[in-house]
Amino acid sequence: MPSLYLNLSFGLYFLAMILYTAGLFFSIKTLPFIARIFLALGIIGLSYYLHMRWQVAGRPPFSNMFESLVVLSWSIAIVSLYIDIKYKIKSIAAWTTLVSLLALGYASMLDKEVAPLLPALKSNWLTIHVLTCFVGYAALTVSFVSSAILLCKKKEDKGLDAISHKMIAFGFLFLTLGIVSGSVWANSAWGTYWSWDPKETWSLITWFVYAIYLHARFRKGWKGRAAAWISVIGFLAMVFTYFGVNYLLTGLHSYTG
Amino acid sequence: MSIKKTKAWRFLSSVKLAIWLLAIIAVLSLVGTFIPQNEAPEFYIAKFGQVGQGALSKTGLDNIYASWWFILSLALFSLNLTVCLLNRFPIRKHSMGTIMTHLSVLVIFIGAFIGMIFGEKGLVKIPEGEEISYFISKGKKIDLGFSIRLNDFIYTEYIDKKEKLLVYPVKEGSAHDAHDFSMAATGETPLAEVNAEVGSESGIAGTGSKVKILRYLPDFVMDMSTKSVMSRSNTPNNPAIEVELKGKGGDTRTFWVFARFPDVHKGPGADYKFIYEWVGRRPKDFISKVAIIKEGKEALKKDIRVNEPLSFGGFRIFQSTYDSENLGWSGLQIVKDPGVPVVYAGFVLLITGFIIIFYVNPIIQRR
Repeated sequence: MPSLYLNLSFGLYFLAMILYTAGLFFSIKTLPFIARIFLALGIIGLSYYLHMRWQVAGRPPFSNMFESLVVLSWSIAIVSLYIDIKYKIKSIAAWTTLVSLLALGYASMLDKEVAPLLPALKSNWLTIHVLTCFVGYAALTVSFVSSAILLCKKKEDKGLDAISHKMIAFGFLFLTLGIVSGSVWANSAWGTYWSWDPKETWSLITWFVYAIYLHARFRKGWKGRAAAWISVIGFLAMVFTYFGVNYLLTGLHSYTG
Repeated sequence: MSIKKTKAWRFLSSVKLAIWLLAIIAVLSLVGTFIPQNEAPEFYIAKFGQVGQGALSKTGLDNIYASWWFILSLALFSLNLTVCLLNRFPIRKHSMGTIMTHLSVLVIFIGAFIGMIFGEKGLVKIPEGEEISYFISKGKKIDLGFSIRLNDFIYTEYIDKKEKLLVYPVKEGSAHDAHDFSMAATGETPLAEVNAEVGSESGIAGTGSKVKILRYLPDFVMDMSTKSVMSRSNTPNNPAIEVELKGKGGDTRTFWVFARFPDVHKGPGADYKFIYEWVGRRPKDFISKVAIIKEGKEALKKDIRVNEPLSFGGFRIFQSTYDSENLGWSGLQIVKDPGVPVVYAGFVLLITGFIIIFYVNPIIQRR
């Protein structure tokens, strides 16, 4: 199937990223505004691409690494746009747009062929499981970006800390929904809701790191840098759950590679 | 002195302990993803040597998630949670969400525990046409109270549109020394292109002849004494299709075309060159057509597929594995887990609790 809309979105993301970055150096008010429009158009283009792929394949477009990266890029862009509209922090917008662009760039290097669905994935749980996981991934990525910027700055930044915390709360809820939906699906496909498969285990490790973040924050008053470090560790665990397990370990999820 | 003021109680209800336990369980789980779990001793000997295997088996690192120290850390974690929950009494309105999320983890553990004690699970391999009425779980024989008969096992594959039989004209002089795929490469147009699916057919351009696909074998072998053909396994070691060539006058010839050996079919189709372009097939469906027999009568018929188990008499039956050699049997996983509803209740509690903590409480506080 044609990848016109995929390339178009890549271009729009790129322009948005350039304009956001320019906005960091030149205080021209229209720059972030135009960047926002490009990002929104990029999201629309990618939504249309995913929709078309869904139609052509006759199944949800969430079955291999290429498709999952497109969904990841799409969901990061959406969360990023929301945060940009709500908080208007240029550095976060520039970096999250870059991450989204990189995900799409990496995707476009992979095999784009529309392959039919393997028997294990033929389930209504596929859409629920993938979407909840990726919304979670997107929010946790934005939280990471916010924490990383905070760590690079010399002065404490309460705004960045608050965004990071908000995104972790949201991302943690969706990570939980992703794990729970995966668990329920596993039970209906294999008869076990938990089997310590590497992907499952790593999602639990990620969940534990963010649980530590929330407890340290709520009960021990960890804020700013200390909290940001946990957010970075959580993000690394998340990245390993997503990529590392597919490339380095084998298990029930190995068909996604 | 009330128990809540003792040192032990304060230690057990501390957030510090909770954070440490979360970190310890995370690290132990992590180790288990890098050391392959629950493999046979020979596997570990091959990978880590005799000494390594001995050490892994002694420490339980080859079965981390069931080792005493992993279970102990989970038990301590549960104790920590319980004490924290008891500290929340009497319950106040704003701590509802927190209580729900923490209680949910305990509920999930209880569900898992019920499954461990009262659950049964076992794999049965049923040959086609036969039936079973029991399975082995935890070394014990479990009677189903009915029997499962496998009427048929069906394995289907997706056939890529690019997988085709191509028919080329044979030019004089170039007959058989012309190299296999070079014809297609030089851009010569085929006289016919037939989808590799069994049953599909096509006319050969300008001749009035027709080709038809009769059979597909993933691993072609011929018994030399009887001249009968069969598939040695379900692995595509030697994919072949049987082709029927019908001439204008109605004369028919059938022969085999091999993806890996394009020169083999010499005799029958000397006027044409047949190329079987094999792409690689992906599994489409594993279907066990089963019947449940209770008290001598057939109670139910069902197609069990991956993602479509059969529930009967308190057991759930899943498509699990199959005979990849000859498709002669199907491997079904039989499961009984009374802990599942408890675990699911825990899931609901967990998610509801989160929504209350992160989204309902802030709204209430703002008022």
